Amino acid sequence: MIVFFQSLISGILVGGIYALIGIGLTIIFGVMRVINFAHGDLLMLGMYATWLLFKYLGLDPYVALVVTMPLLFLWGALLQKVIINRVLGALPQNQILLTIGLGLIMSNSVMLLFTSDYRILTTSYSSSSFSLLGISISQPLLYSFLVTVAITGVLFWFLQTTDTGQAIRATAQDRDAAQLMGINVKRMSVLAFGLGTALAGTAGALLAPTYYIFPQVGGPFTLKAFVVVVLGGMGSIVGATLGGVLIGVTESMAAVYVGSGLKELVVYVLFLLILLFRPAGLLGKSRA
Amino acid sequence: MTAILEIKHVSKFFGGLSANSDVSFDVEPGSITGLIGPNGAGKTTLFNCITGYYPPSKGDILFKGERMNGRQPDQVCRLGMARTWQKVRPLAKMTVVDNVMVGALLRTHSLRVAREVAMERLEVVKLADKAGALAGGLPIGERKKLEVARVLATRPELLLLDEVMGGLNPAESEEIILLILELKRLGLTQVVIEHDMKAIMRMSDRIVVLNSGEKLAEGTPQEVAHDPEVVAAYLGEAVHA
Amino acid sequence: MRAPPVALRRPARGFSTPALLAYLTVIALLALVPQLTHKPSLLHLWIMVFLAISQGAAWNVIGGYTGQYSVGHAAYFGLGAYITMLLLEMHQVPPWYGLGLAMVGAVLLSVIIGAITFRLRGPYFVLASIAVAEIIRLAALDFRDFTRGAEGILLSGIPPLQLGAHLTIRFVGKQPFFYAALALAVLAVSSNWVVQHTKLGYYFQAIREDQDAAHSLGINPTLHKSIALAISAALTAAAGAIFGLYVRFIDPNIVFSLPDVSVQMVLICIIGGIGTILGPVLGAVVLVLLSETLRNPGWLVQVGVLGEDSTLVDFIEQRLSSAHVLVYGVLVVIVILFAPDGLLGVLRKGLDRLRRRPGASAAPRAAA
Repeated sequence: MIVFFQSLISGILVGGIYALIGIGLTIIFGVMRVINFAHGDLLMLGMYATWLLFKYLGLDPYVALVVTMPLLFLWGALLQKVIINRVLGALPQNQILLTIGLGLIMSNSVMLLFTSDYRILTTSYSSSSFSLLGISISQPLLYSFLVTVAITGVLFWFLQTTDTGQAIRATAQDRDAAQLMGINVKRMSVLAFGLGTALAGTAGALLAPTYYIFPQVGGPFTLKAFVVVVLGGMGSIVGATLGGVLIGVTESMAAVYVGSGLKELVVYVLFLLILLFRPAGLLGKSRA
Repeated sequence: MTAILEIKHVSKFFGGLSANSDVSFDVEPGSITGLIGPNGAGKTTLFNCITGYYPPSKGDILFKGERMNGRQPDQVCRLGMARTWQKVRPLAKMTVVDNVMVGALLRTHSLRVAREVAMERLEVVKLADKAGALAGGLPIGERKKLEVARVLATRPELLLLDEVMGGLNPAESEEIILLILELKRLGLTQVVIEHDMKAIMRMSDRIVVLNSGEKLAEGTPQEVAHDPEVVAAYLGEAVHA
Repeated sequence: MRAPPVALRRPARGFSTPALLAYLTVIALLALVPQLTHKPSLLHLWIMVFLAISQGAAWNVIGGYTGQYSVGHAAYFGLGAYITMLLLEMHQVPPWYGLGLAMVGAVLLSVIIGAITFRLRGPYFVLASIAVAEIIRLAALDFRDFTRGAEGILLSGIPPLQLGAHLTIRFVGKQPFFYAALALAVLAVSSNWVVQHTKLGYYFQAIREDQDAAHSLGINPTLHKSIALAISAALTAAAGAIFGLYVRFIDPNIVFSLPDVSVQMVLICIIGGIGTILGPVLGAVVLVLLSETLRNPGWLVQVGVLGEDSTLVDFIEQRLSSAHVLVYGVLVVIVILFAPDGLLGVLRKGLDRLRRRPGASAAPRAAA
């Protein structure tokens, strides 16, 4: 029983970070209908930014968020404005390939700059944990989860109550209608890609204390982000939040009960089943 | 003479909404049947049911006496019933003649034969001079003609035309009307969805009127035009203007 | 909406003698290469080019002509390599039988994968194709009893091939692999030619352009997508098999790799020109030359392009040896943004312009 709760808790904690990655991807998809295959590489950039700030300025990874988040927001906005904007009306396949190309550029530039060595960001609390009713809870994972909850909360507040947030949601719902209503759709796209990038980067920052940092780290996270988003329904933020937690729990349960080598396999099988049988996601209405 | 197409009590539901309910009519070989009704009356849905894109929820569709329910669109086309699309669907990055060849290849494996058939069909719709152009670059009037040439190349016995005159200027529409009448003279059975009342009155042997998914009336153009229900519900001004 | 200009294109001919002659001449000339040079690094370059052409042309059948952007072709590449290598290492089945079985295996796998993924369209198809290939990679890593997992398979040797009484082919050095890879490249490119000039190709392209319209014209989309995938999978598996035998070592992260195999196969076609016969050839040449040069610039010296003491070689070796993927990335972004028809499209446009210039003052060409 302890093992069950142990894996449930750590699944939820990791799932929070997956949710953050998924929310970023789903915002980008919702607003621009572009599937961002560079998402994991944006996360990787967040990791490296955090690592650099820690190594050279001694900044704590959680404090460093104040720098990394805006930095990645700007980077995402720039990518959108300069490159991705040009393919908004193009074939989805071409958009996918473009973002794959951008991902390759990012991961390999980082490799050229910092080599492909694995980096580790060790804080004083990296390997410490709390014990609660016999269940051990990793300290950095818990911090990361709390930050995730806070950011998700702020994000919901922003999207629900502010004018800009509502404009983003309107654009996600119906681009043409939003345009007719006088919403600056181009600006919303820039905002959305910036926001999505910032969220991916934040997830990277939150993972940095507990994960190996290397240029190719993003790939699996891109795939995981898709799983999360498809699970919750493309474009749905609530769906991505739940999907993230669900995938986190599935993974950690699969690691314990099926085998750690097979946990990703289980996730992909789940992904295929959802694509085939509930293509609109667990929360969405199924196709007529 | 037995009917070539029999629609028997066909209903189509999407979730709780019915797009067609209990629609029945027959189509005689060699005739032109007009299918009219306001937007959302279920005309295109009926075409989709007939040609295998949706299975009808209830009822039967018989083509040459054979039950069509559950057959795939490609099988339906192979049996001799072909349709055009309201929103034209040119194979954009292929040439005009290649588009028509795709249709012709249903009845032959030889590209040479298919090309000959395709060029003939392009002559019929007066598009032969554009044979080498990319289909995606044609203006709307020519795209509509291409759509017709392409289905003609599948050698259909029954042709379902979904608003082939939509978006055309009067001269282009007139060309299409003459084409439809010429095809009739050659013995081809046609069911035509059209919004242009004058055209439909002029071409059709019989007219079926759909309204909110149900059949409102059926008869010769004269009968339909003077049916008080039809006049009240839909036609009124269009006919008497 | 901005309508594309009404471009004129000669309807594809069923058979063109000059093109066929040119094709045969190129093959004959290529077959002479090992007689002219024995430099291993040069032969290696050719082998890599031929394998890349095979992979690109294989993907082109399903991705280029049929419009189904599979980003999971590593599944077939890896399967081909594993079937051939496992049969040879564990059961001493000679690789020329192994290769055949690999192709059959890939076709069977393609039927299963097709049944799963062809129900999905657009981006969902792409995602499903990736997921399937990743599942297979992870399974190959995990089922150690069967695949030896991450340890991989190291080839101890290939038995000689006895052809008739007098001819024995020994698989030592690069020459046999040169011919094997060349043969596969010819087969793959020819398959594209056949596809483009038969009913099958018309049906594939119709599905690519508009699946519903194709369906209404009597085409069974699922059947034809499956045929395209089967051809593509068989060729890809053959490339995987020859690759494995050539490099003599495979593991799941090499032959089932998402970036290095699946994505690269797409890039070859995108960069060269998708849905054309020469596109994958051009894309393969460009990509392999770039990546091999950055990985190992020594061949430039061997060929004589650069001098022995060239600082460029040192620079590349020290700074850029791991940058070849970066170059792919840059190329893809440039191609998608500025040359959606690939390098072949750029070349064609350039040739058209050259051809038109002298005639510009003469009578304008008729519009049709």
